[in-house]
Amino acid sequence: MKSCKRKEVPVSKPLLSLVNLNKYFGDFHVLKDITLDIDRGEFLTLLGPSGCGKTTLLRCIAGLEAIDSGDILLNGESIKDLAPNKRNVNTVFQNYALFPHFTVYDNICYGPRVKRTLSEGELKQKVREVLELVQMAGYENRMPHQLSGGQRQRIAIARALINQPDILLLDEPLGALDLKLRKHMQTELLQLQKVTGTTFVYVTHDQDEALNMSDRIVVINQGEVQQLGTPREIYNNPRNLFVTEFIGDRNILQVEVLEPGEGTVKVMLGGQVVEARSAGSGLTAGDKAVLAVHKDKMRVACEPGPNSLVAKALSIHYAGSQIRLELAVGQDMETGWVKLTVILYQQSDCECEPGDSVWVSWDADGAVLLPLEPGWQGSVLV
Amino acid sequence: MKARVNRWQIIYLSVFFVVLYLPVLSVILYSFNANASTAKWTGWTLDWYRQLFNDRVIGQAFVISIEVAVLTAIVSAVLGTAAAVISLSLTERMKKAVQWVMLLPLLVPEVALGVSLLMFFNALRLPFGHLTLVLSHSLFCVPYVYVMVRLRLAEIDREIIESARDLGATKWQAIRTIVLPLVMPSIITSALLAIAMSLDDVVISTYMSGPRATTLPVHIFSMMRVGVTPKVNALCTLILLGTFLIIGLNQFVNIKSKPKGVV
Amino acid sequence: MKGGISAKAGGAGGAKRGGLEALRQNVLAFPILAWFGLFVGIPMVYVVVVSFLTRDDLGNIVWQFTLDNYRRIADPVYLRIFANSFLLAFLTGVVTLLVGYPVAYTTARLEPKRRNLAIGLIILPFWISSLLRTYGWVILLGNWGIINNVLTALGLIDQPLQLMYKFGTTLVGTAYMLIPFMIIAIYNSVDKLDKSLLEASYDLGAGRWQTFFKIVLPLTIPGIAGGFTLVFIPALGLYFISDLLGGGQTVFLGNLIHTLVNRGRNRPLAAAFSVGMIVMVILVVAICSRVTRSKREGFLL
Repeated sequence: MKSCKRKEVPVSKPLLSLVNLNKYFGDFHVLKDITLDIDRGEFLTLLGPSGCGKTTLLRCIAGLEAIDSGDILLNGESIKDLAPNKRNVNTVFQNYALFPHFTVYDNICYGPRVKRTLSEGELKQKVREVLELVQMAGYENRMPHQLSGGQRQRIAIARALINQPDILLLDEPLGALDLKLRKHMQTELLQLQKVTGTTFVYVTHDQDEALNMSDRIVVINQGEVQQLGTPREIYNNPRNLFVTEFIGDRNILQVEVLEPGEGTVKVMLGGQVVEARSAGSGLTAGDKAVLAVHKDKMRVACEPGPNSLVAKALSIHYAGSQIRLELAVGQDMETGWVKLTVILYQQSDCECEPGDSVWVSWDADGAVLLPLEPGWQGSVLV
Repeated sequence: MKARVNRWQIIYLSVFFVVLYLPVLSVILYSFNANASTAKWTGWTLDWYRQLFNDRVIGQAFVISIEVAVLTAIVSAVLGTAAAVISLSLTERMKKAVQWVMLLPLLVPEVALGVSLLMFFNALRLPFGHLTLVLSHSLFCVPYVYVMVRLRLAEIDREIIESARDLGATKWQAIRTIVLPLVMPSIITSALLAIAMSLDDVVISTYMSGPRATTLPVHIFSMMRVGVTPKVNALCTLILLGTFLIIGLNQFVNIKSKPKGVV
Repeated sequence: MKGGISAKAGGAGGAKRGGLEALRQNVLAFPILAWFGLFVGIPMVYVVVVSFLTRDDLGNIVWQFTLDNYRRIADPVYLRIFANSFLLAFLTGVVTLLVGYPVAYTTARLEPKRRNLAIGLIILPFWISSLLRTYGWVILLGNWGIINNVLTALGLIDQPLQLMYKFGTTLVGTAYMLIPFMIIAIYNSVDKLDKSLLEASYDLGAGRWQTFFKIVLPLTIPGIAGGFTLVFIPALGLYFISDLLGGGQTVFLGNLIHTLVNRGRNRPLAAAFSVGMIVMVILVVAICSRVTRSKREGFLL
């Protein structure tokens, strides 16, 4: 499935390549054999839960951490042994890290000044330009402690961008902002990236943010790349259980394969037979597998329909724009049953009361089937 | 229950402060006593101060003390700050080792330290005087600089230094343009403290003084052993004024750097 | 040390990298260690060496090994001096603790403005000449000093009280000199206390005193141990206080060493006593360190 956001990138060498990158903190293997290509001009997000190593990976690219094996290639040349000040890569830190004893102007000028890349005259012009870019024109003489969080953020970005880095690294830059401001800044950041054409590598644990802003997403867990793809791909075609559980809001159920096949597969769930789309992973009859369906891609009706299960309505919750319906599916609804949540947006989609028997169904296309991984603990049909 | 302080605690605190400053105030008071032997209070006078200004020996000791103090402050500030800044980039074990070594002079009673330095410098045939005084005074002043600068460094967000490197600064540039300006208040405070401690030192200076170079405290101490005279009181009061000058300077420096929070 | 992942596109093996890296990181530390090693370590070692030597009639050191100096220490007269010094230092610790703990505790619980004022007043004496501070007691406690004058004037006494030249006088002077150290050490400890622990204690029904003895005191032991060390060590060495206030009635180690060096011209013996003093310090520091071993925070910094 092609994403509409995908830019027309000519087939060329990637800007940044990570090759078999490994890093240890003492005995702890924090980055495991990471191999990744980042294209020029793209907005790439490193997405994962806390502690997965995404920030460490970012810092390795910046040169703030050394790697233990593997390589980092920028424009085809290895930079893994270069000090951070020698790499044409700049970082926007989580807490902005503005120099408290410098004005905004001096903060922004810092990079060019220590590297002596611009004269003072040129600096004045450049600073004005970059401040306009981040919509902070006129703030040259303010001190950091006089600025709000969002403003400091923008100055931090301006300070990095004036150096015209090959890559801009952003470490959860919006984490400290409140929700409304965060949404606003997401739009701004995206616009900024398009306007400047700079390659952004963005770290976050917020999947909405990642899905919203990125050209491609790298999902990371426990130091390993779980999946790399566009937001559309990640959202619809998760390749393993971690990504399935981490992205999107799905019902995740254990099933038994009945009839394997290309395209749709018949499986047994709660004593009933339904169809699902296979992730193409070679499942055979009798295999235990995992079925994942987006909670808001299911339908509830009072009569049976194609590919539907009979279920008993347990409870209904109204949560703002959503109606959450809890159902129980099972052979014997007294002893062994599986809980499903269905999210509906209109009252008319749900004409039932708790205790009723209903039929729940979904498009075989909207459900993904994945092999069961050892050690997985999810909903199990007893 | 809110952490509130009750009346008895405030009273205790106040009494404590009164007792704390009583000796100091007594000295000041008696420096104006017309009676030479503090036995009785006979009246106000400035005689003793006049006598002081004419005393050449004291004047000389004073000059020497100042010279030693300033040199000590400079040496201690440089060494202590260097040690603190270098500590930032050491491995954990080395950090602990440096910390112990830095604090070592404070773990030895001054008498033992003075005596051992005396024997050591003697064996090295070093001339006793300014050199030995500055060296030995630095020994117990550097730890204070080290501790205060370390504390201030800990308050600086690690990201700020990383950011400087990220933007293109070499290690030395980062230290010079970012770290040093931010720890300067601590450096100045501890340097002023070094001056105060050096000016005040009796024990070690006793052993480290040379034939021509005696510090003021050593001189005062010998005056005190002879007996209580208002002249000594007057001298002490003047020293007190000097102390307040230094403290005032310190406050001035600290207040100037207040507005800049750590962002 | 590190896993056996082989390097592909460059980079040395894990273990070798670690050793070399550490060296490069630490190279700057060596000058620092050298400086202090030179000026503190070597003199100390030298003193230990000298303590095993002897002297000639002129007072010069003769390089002849002997245990004489240490044998002389065992003399009851000298042992009494050790005991005196230890007692003085120890009691100074106790007195500063008893007087200073409430000060530190109260200060830590004042509101910010008052607290800063209090801290300023506590630290101020640091800057004031120690001779001055000691001398003030001479004026206060002398037979014709302020206290006696006031009491006589008020008619409370006929004869002046003999307050000077006693063991207690030296104790007061030393404790007075060192109490700011104890207060600051305890203050830091109290300040770090999680206030919600106190609230939990009250919530569970404990009174103020119970909370203090069961919660606050145990948790501030590192501060107490640190303060005790900070007070004990100087107390051994500030012999000028016992000179001025004690009048030489009781002889302390500091005075003894000073006399041996200056007048007795017996440096080896003085060295032996110095070593004895340092050993005492090491023992006390070790004990305080052991006391705080079970607590999480270090006790010096």
